Amino acid sequence: MSRPPILSVRNLRTSFFAQRGEVQAVRGVSFDVAPGEILGIVGESGSGKSITCMSILRLLKSTGRIVDGQAIFDGQDLMELDENAMADLRGNDIGMIFQDPMTSLNPTLSVGEQVVETIIRHRRISRAEARKRAIELFELVRIPSAAQRLKSFPHEFSGGMRQRVMIAMALSCDPKLLIADEPTTALDVTIQRQILLLLKQLQNRLGMAVILITHDLGVIAEVTDRIVVMYGGMVMEQGSVTELFAHPRHPYTQGLLRSVPDLRDGEHTRLTPIAGTPPDMIQPPPGCPFAPRCVHAMKQCDIAIPPLYPMAEASDQTARCWLHHAQAPRVAGVNAPTAEVA
Amino acid sequence: MNPEPIIAPSMWEKPDRSTTAGEAIATPSLTYWQDVRQRLWANKPAVISIGFIVVLILAAIFGPLISPFSYFEQNLRLSNIPPVFETYRVSDDTGNNTRFFLNASNFNLYQVSEGGQVEGLLRGGRKDILKKRQGFEFGNTDIVLDYSSRPARLLRADGTTLRPEGWQWNMTYVFGTDQLGRDVLVRQLYGARISLLVAFVATLVNFFIGIFYGGIAGYIGGKTDAVMMRIVEIISTIPLMLYVILLMVVLNSGLISIVVAIGSVFWVDMARMVRGQILTLKQQDYVAAARTMGAGTGRILTRHLLPNSIGPILVTLTMLIPSAIFIESFMSFIGLGVTPPMASWGTLTSEAVETMRAYPHQLFFPAAAISLTMFAFNFLGDGLRDALDPRMRR
Amino acid sequence: MAGYVLQRLGQMLLTLLAIATLTFFLMHAIPGGPFVSERMLAPEIATALNDKFGLNDPIWLQYLNYLRGILTFDLGPSFRYPGVTVNEMIADGLPVTLRTGVLAVICVVALGVPMGIVAALNRNKWPDTAVMMLATIGVAIPSYVIATILLYVFALRLGWVPTFGLDDWRGYILPVFALSGFWISFVARLARSSLLETFEQDYMTTARAKGLRPGQVLFKHGLRNSLIPVVTVLGPVVANLITGSFVIEQIFALPGIGRHFVLSITNRDYTAIMGITIFYAALLMVMILIVDLLYVWLDPRIKLRKTAQ
Repeated sequence: MSRPPILSVRNLRTSFFAQRGEVQAVRGVSFDVAPGEILGIVGESGSGKSITCMSILRLLKSTGRIVDGQAIFDGQDLMELDENAMADLRGNDIGMIFQDPMTSLNPTLSVGEQVVETIIRHRRISRAEARKRAIELFELVRIPSAAQRLKSFPHEFSGGMRQRVMIAMALSCDPKLLIADEPTTALDVTIQRQILLLLKQLQNRLGMAVILITHDLGVIAEVTDRIVVMYGGMVMEQGSVTELFAHPRHPYTQGLLRSVPDLRDGEHTRLTPIAGTPPDMIQPPPGCPFAPRCVHAMKQCDIAIPPLYPMAEASDQTARCWLHHAQAPRVAGVNAPTAEVA
Repeated sequence: MNPEPIIAPSMWEKPDRSTTAGEAIATPSLTYWQDVRQRLWANKPAVISIGFIVVLILAAIFGPLISPFSYFEQNLRLSNIPPVFETYRVSDDTGNNTRFFLNASNFNLYQVSEGGQVEGLLRGGRKDILKKRQGFEFGNTDIVLDYSSRPARLLRADGTTLRPEGWQWNMTYVFGTDQLGRDVLVRQLYGARISLLVAFVATLVNFFIGIFYGGIAGYIGGKTDAVMMRIVEIISTIPLMLYVILLMVVLNSGLISIVVAIGSVFWVDMARMVRGQILTLKQQDYVAAARTMGAGTGRILTRHLLPNSIGPILVTLTMLIPSAIFIESFMSFIGLGVTPPMASWGTLTSEAVETMRAYPHQLFFPAAAISLTMFAFNFLGDGLRDALDPRMRR
Repeated sequence: MAGYVLQRLGQMLLTLLAIATLTFFLMHAIPGGPFVSERMLAPEIATALNDKFGLNDPIWLQYLNYLRGILTFDLGPSFRYPGVTVNEMIADGLPVTLRTGVLAVICVVALGVPMGIVAALNRNKWPDTAVMMLATIGVAIPSYVIATILLYVFALRLGWVPTFGLDDWRGYILPVFALSGFWISFVARLARSSLLETFEQDYMTTARAKGLRPGQVLFKHGLRNSLIPVVTVLGPVVANLITGSFVIEQIFALPGIGRHFVLSITNRDYTAIMGITIFYAALLMVMILIVDLLYVWLDPRIKLRKTAQ
């Protein structure tokens, strides 16, 4: 990365304090987002990917607490800001889109009002000007007859249209960073593509950085530049999309890729699910969180968490796996980038 | 790059996965009702409430049988006696001790035994109405009751004031007596009997009508449902209390009338709830699944619909009982409830309001009884709802 | 909107008709009731009743006469007091009942909702515990018990307020509080749980993610949505304040409609019972209509559902 990152998350730890004990949802996550890039965060549910992003914006529910770490945005550590400064930043410098557009919009306020209030909050302009801006935004996200639709209520929209409203709202103050938390999961498959392409186009046009959280590898492959793979509250592997898809260097990433249907492979390939269930985050395993489900697991994996090993072959790729230790036995597919995936 | 730690070669071997499956189930799985019971027992207010209700029911059933007094037996000479009093002691020349207390509101002296038993009214001389004095003789000792100024005083012959010797619990009438000299405790227990009886019977009637009406509306659905629910809507537009009052006016006061009146009106909530339950449950996927697998109407009704609506029904029932108690006491309070000498908490309270200024104890006991009972049923209902709520289930 | 109101008014009339019919036939069933011509009554009352209802006419004609009376706001003569009409009784008591009733509704909203908000914002801290304890007491203890206790403590023992009458503003304190106590508690509990549920909603997170200030998030996004269930119970609140007033007016000796009603019941003043019941029902339905309109205004989703039907 040549340019300095716009957001730099360092060793983020977030826990939820439930009656049964401390749930360690995020355990030391670090990654960078470069200006103008789309970073994808992948992982199954419970991997900590959403919590990571909610922690960056400090939007955790009451039982959640950021235990440690930094999130440097534009030279400031977001964790150090006071609540007022943080509120000034939310929706203004960092926009956010949520998973379910059905529940993320307030049902009792018109969609226009919900966009306008965001603009008025962060810009010193009149209500009339804000309305004008809202209409522009609705046109930008291609909501037909934008001016009239401003008065409508969320329940009068379809799911896809609601998500467009959410996007318009998130973009209303020209944020430098947009965080999209599974923006297409709750939508119909045909609508999913439309929304994704819209996001991609808007990103191209407006030049902001985007963090796209998803569990859908197809989505990732289509729009992102770089990927962070999360599991058990940790980053397992990260790298550029092309490298990571071509040469996944972590058994978990490999497992993920194998569990996705690929139409190009023809009809005879079998999908291989990853056996087992994600770890209990109240008592996470002392070693690699993926070890209990890993086909290559070794004794070492059960006692210590591996560091992120940089890959010699790819400049920007790192993988958290003991197999990359200098003394570790070599496994085809994991260690050798050119080998066939077993 | 950080320096690579040196790791023993044995660590690169495959781990032994035979013992730890990694998927050990931490808690033993419980059936739904075991789970409910466990949660209910963990809820302290609910448990205490259950205890209170059981004790109350037992006391209501057996209390009047054990008591030496009956709820209708009057003793006007011993009316309005408080549950606690300050006793005085006077000795005459023969060494006889007389222990007695002064009822500060009706200016009577009552003799009390050493054990705190009320033995009777003390006869004094003529009341001097003008000077507001009355003389009492204890052998050769004279005592004058002076009630010309409040509080009333007892004066010795030499003009000094007689001092009370201390507080004494009323051991004969533990809760005191009412204005007709009836034992408050036994009337209290008898009132509990009537109030609880009305509440339980009325709730049961409501329960059956409600289940029947709501069940039919919900199960048949369509036009029948629409018409039946419109009727319920009309009934519930005006306060149900008005219907009860109208019915009581027509039926005349009495125990049976009030049960009929409450029972015939308050089923609408139950009907609505049952219908709603049946309607939502009918649309549940598991019912559809059962139907797809060939289960008949009877099986669906008994295996799927009823067990799943029993929770809300139970909660509604628990909540109906206190409102029935409340309505009965309310009706009795405005003079439309049970007729004297029968007592319910409502009539006891309304009788006590008349004498509230002088004898607050008569108000205290029925008010406390009804409040505590309402508390108990409310807590129990809340506890049940929390215990049954499947959303709280892990 | 106009169509909806018209439809509701039609429904109201229908309901009123049902109530009037029920009342009429119930009263007709009473031996010695108002619709029997042979009784021992003051001649003046007997004549008035006969003039009004035509007691020797067939029953359906009496029924129609009675309905016509209701439609022309003429509820007939009293069954007990010569020369007094039910209309006069209502007119006599209405100001007192309305004043205490409106004050009670204001108390319910002005105390209950803020109590709920304070409790929800301080969940599981002492203000929450305190509010919930008060609310539990208020919900469990019947209004007439609260009324008598208040009367005993504040009027008889402490002498801070008069024991009866409404000669000055202090006379209103106890009746209004006794009347609204239950509903203040109920609304506080409801507002609390409703707010807590609203806090968990996704759109609250959205509002925060947009950078809205905490006050905006709470009042604009949270409160409006959580007030919807509170508004739905306001209809029943009005209804229950009215029935509550029977006893409260009795205990505090307030000359309101409720006292007239209870007196009519003890006197078996059948025409007054009938008339006041109908008046209550009509009053209530107007109140419920108002609450429903408020509800539609608060929750735009309702409109769609109504027009779709």
